[in-house]
Amino acid sequence: MLASRKPQWWPDADKRRLFKAGFFDVFSTLVGTSTWGFVTGIAMVKSGLTELMATLMTLLVYAGSAQLTALPLIESWAPVWLVFAAGMVVNIRFVIFGAAMHPYFRHMTWPRRLWAGFFSSDISFVFFMSRYGDSKEKGTPEQLWYFLGIVIPGWISWNFFSLLGVYMGGFIPASWSLEFAAVLALMAVVIPLIKTRPMAICLLAAGGIAWVGQSLPLRLGLAAAVVGGVLAGVLAERLLRPKKAGGT
Amino acid sequence: MTGDPEYDWYVFAVIGMLMLCSFLTRCGYYLFGDYLPLREPVRRALRYAPTAALVGIIVPELLPWQQGAGPTLDLKAAAALIALLVYWRTRSTLLVIVGGMAAYWLLDFLF
Repeated sequence: MLASRKPQWWPDADKRRLFKAGFFDVFSTLVGTSTWGFVTGIAMVKSGLTELMATLMTLLVYAGSAQLTALPLIESWAPVWLVFAAGMVVNIRFVIFGAAMHPYFRHMTWPRRLWAGFFSSDISFVFFMSRYGDSKEKGTPEQLWYFLGIVIPGWISWNFFSLLGVYMGGFIPASWSLEFAAVLALMAVVIPLIKTRPMAICLLAAGGIAWVGQSLPLRLGLAAAVVGGVLAGVLAERLLRPKKAGGT
Repeated sequence: MTGDPEYDWYVFAVIGMLMLCSFLTRCGYYLFGDYLPLREPVRRALRYAPTAALVGIIVPELLPWQQGAGPTLDLKAAAALIALLVYWRTRSTLLVIVGGMAAYWLLDFLF
């Protein structure tokens, strides 16, 4: 009985091979995510968080764009519910990823599904679905080990470089304006998303509303930008649909 | 701890809520996916939300204006534009950060 349970914890050669396959796939992206983690770490301390707060945020939140989104809100003492709402909206992509990934994990126990969800990342979704998106059999041990090969190195490098940023951030002079790198990092997330015309229209609408509404209290300009941007995107998608069939 | 308990608790509350965000969005479907059908129109609409939210954060950072003073042109907006050009030429998100930062330092040195 014990012998049959052991391979679940210690991978056999086949599982190790898939772990390595995941690791090789994710390796080239680690440079990017490590830099992004480092920038996030620096940005947290530069925006006034103590090292303890920044460390807690790194380990507990583990979501770069939500963290960077929260920083300007924290600096302007935005209400907690608004930071929560903004974090939810920025993280909505994980809901969509989760809906697609769920069939591969539904057979597992709840605590394991919890960990799989917590460790999942944008990159794990991209690699996992491009490899197993069309698999008939969902939830095989091989798939799990490939997933682990992506998310474990990702988690380690993100947190290592983020904490490095937190503890080195204090030694970097304010005149370097490294907090600007946080804005650039958010731009680096948005720009690749703008692939279709409705998405570009969403960007223009949200940007315009955010610019006009930036002096509104409670950062309500942000809430208005989200609502306006989503409406503009959906509307544009509906209006442009006949053209879309021929083009993209 | 900053010595300002009000700020400390505010930040810890924010961290707690963001942790809840991560938990709900990342683990929600992994845990409760069997009970949560996500309808296609909703799924399509949700794709626009992250773009809108991120742009809503970025724009006031790049193009701030104060009531009465009118818009102020910041070097950051120019540097961001250069970062955008860098992405257009290279398709590298890493170079958006590196290029934008280098452009900002250069502009800051020149003007």
